[in-house]
Amino acid sequence: MRPFTRLMWKEARELLRPRYILPLLLVPVLFIALGQGLGGVEAQLNDQPVVGVVNEDGDRYGERVVETLENESTLVYNATGGSVDAALANTTDKGGSAVIRVPENFTERIEADRRGDVHLYTNVESVSIVGIASSAQVEDLVDKAAHNVTVAATGATEVQLDPISREHTTYVKGREIAASPGSVSATFTSQFIFVPVVIMVAIVFSGQMVMNSMASEKENKTLETLLSMPVDRHHIVAAKLLGGSLIGLVATAFYTGGLAFTQLSVGGFEGASTLSLGGGDYLLIAVSLFFSLVGALAVALCLGLFADSQQGAQMLLLPLSGLAIVPMFATMFTDIDTLGLGAKALLLAIPFTHPIIAPKRLLFDDTTIVYAGIAYEILFALGAVWLAVKLFASDRPITGNAGWLDRVLRLVQQ
Amino acid sequence: MSTQAVQVDQLRKRYGDVQALDGLSFQVRRGEIFGLVGPNGAGKTTTLRTLATLLNKDDGTVTIAGHDVDGDADGVRDAIRYLPEDAGAYESMTGRQFLAFVADFYASGDEATAMVDRGVDVADLGERIDDKTKGYSKGMTRKLLIGSALMTDPRLAILDEPTSGLDVQNSKTVREVIKDFPGDEQSILLSSHDMLEVAYLCDRVGLLHDGTLAVVGTPDELVAEYDAENLEDVFLEVVA
Repeated sequence: MRPFTRLMWKEARELLRPRYILPLLLVPVLFIALGQGLGGVEAQLNDQPVVGVVNEDGDRYGERVVETLENESTLVYNATGGSVDAALANTTDKGGSAVIRVPENFTERIEADRRGDVHLYTNVESVSIVGIASSAQVEDLVDKAAHNVTVAATGATEVQLDPISREHTTYVKGREIAASPGSVSATFTSQFIFVPVVIMVAIVFSGQMVMNSMASEKENKTLETLLSMPVDRHHIVAAKLLGGSLIGLVATAFYTGGLAFTQLSVGGFEGASTLSLGGGDYLLIAVSLFFSLVGALAVALCLGLFADSQQGAQMLLLPLSGLAIVPMFATMFTDIDTLGLGAKALLLAIPFTHPIIAPKRLLFDDTTIVYAGIAYEILFALGAVWLAVKLFASDRPITGNAGWLDRVLRLVQQ
Repeated sequence: MSTQAVQVDQLRKRYGDVQALDGLSFQVRRGEIFGLVGPNGAGKTTTLRTLATLLNKDDGTVTIAGHDVDGDADGVRDAIRYLPEDAGAYESMTGRQFLAFVADFYASGDEATAMVDRGVDVADLGERIDDKTKGYSKGMTRKLLIGSALMTDPRLAILDEPTSGLDVQNSKTVREVIKDFPGDEQSILLSSHDMLEVAYLCDRVGLLHDGTLAVVGTPDELVAEYDAENLEDVFLEVVA
């Protein structure tokens, strides 16, 4: 095995130890659990509600309500009188949780041009999302019953009841989309939460891995031995960057999978394909992310040289995470074009901003800023790698002495 | 080819306000064991680290096996093996895997395999060589590191407190390994606080004090020169 490959192998082995990898893998597991929970709720809410009815009215509009319940729900109890408590107990026994009581003057009131009352009795056993949300299904049933009663009472057609249909044309930065601003916004929001979060996670996870790699050398007291062996400092730096980023990207893939599982990702609207990215666009995003990662990891490696331990490395990761989180939130809640010059310059100066804004830019064929961003990221990455190599060639890894900067970074780790 | 394994001339190194090395000069001859002794803070570890290319010197020249530490650091690293005083091994590896990891930087194929076998012999850890180093005691780790340091047959082995953390029996075994190591081309530069160990192992001894070499000679020469009973008394005399 060649020395560089051996170094990579060593980095991977060290970083795959449970103490480093388990915390990262725990996050996607939590997401998957959350996704399963939400999926279960959604599946439950998609089922027809199970209800009972006590129709004391017995007249035509009361019958229309019962008809609606028969068509739109699973009606497990249907009586014309009796105790509501017994009705609710019976319905609950059969898997339902609500009883609708239609009082005897229901039809009479509507015929007298007054609103007919119904009373909903709901038994909430589970104080949870499912328990509370299922009562909303019963509300929906009553709305449908009201609609059917209206049709029966007025003889109006569906068109007469909803006479205006809407067609939307929305212009987003000059691009014509046949969808309402609300649905475009919902789709964009879901996309621009998902993409920045994944990119931020890739940067933070990989950065954490590289820092852990340095902290591990210090904790194991192996750094002096490694640096005194006949291996180029560039190779040590490159192996740590590659090894850390590989494990970090694998963790990111798990995280992305977990996030996708929660179904928090991309929504859609009719005509969404008019605003979709092509293969070339994805390639540019990948290039942008790659150079951003190289820069981030080189910075992490430099910071890692100042870490006393794994705990210290976690603290030193905070400024790097901050640099990744700022553009993530900025992209989620604003459009960078709408910001003032100072804020815009500040955001664009953060190298991690560029892969985060790249998808939105490419969606609107604004490639110039993406190319400029990649050029900036390459320069930043080269500078950061150069700094890492210089630091490795200095006394810093051995003596721990880096003047005032060292004192500041030690304070952070206390 | 240089007649000296190590040639140090006017070596200087400062940490902030502290002048750690102040014009240090000495030589290590080929085939000898040279002991660097001195009180805490005298500059022993700084010297060894500079020779191991881990620290940059402020001034002076250091040549190891004909390679300059500044101009040909890679050549120096090829020629040496450095065992730091407080060193460990990668916890994710077994002892044998650690030796193979190190050997891979110095040789390949059968040569690397032979190197690992030599390391296994020197480390003398029995079946524990195939256990993860995470479960090793301090003494076992030290023996593994001694094995990894000597298995590559370096032109110069730099050993900082080689028997640190070892019990009496293991210390004796390691001393024998060190004593037998030098050949025509192999030398050892070691640092130790154990004057009995230094007297037993070293062909010549240099006593470092305040960043310079106060005295140098064979243990017998030093004892005679200071009219002392042993090397420890010489040490106390010089430091006083």
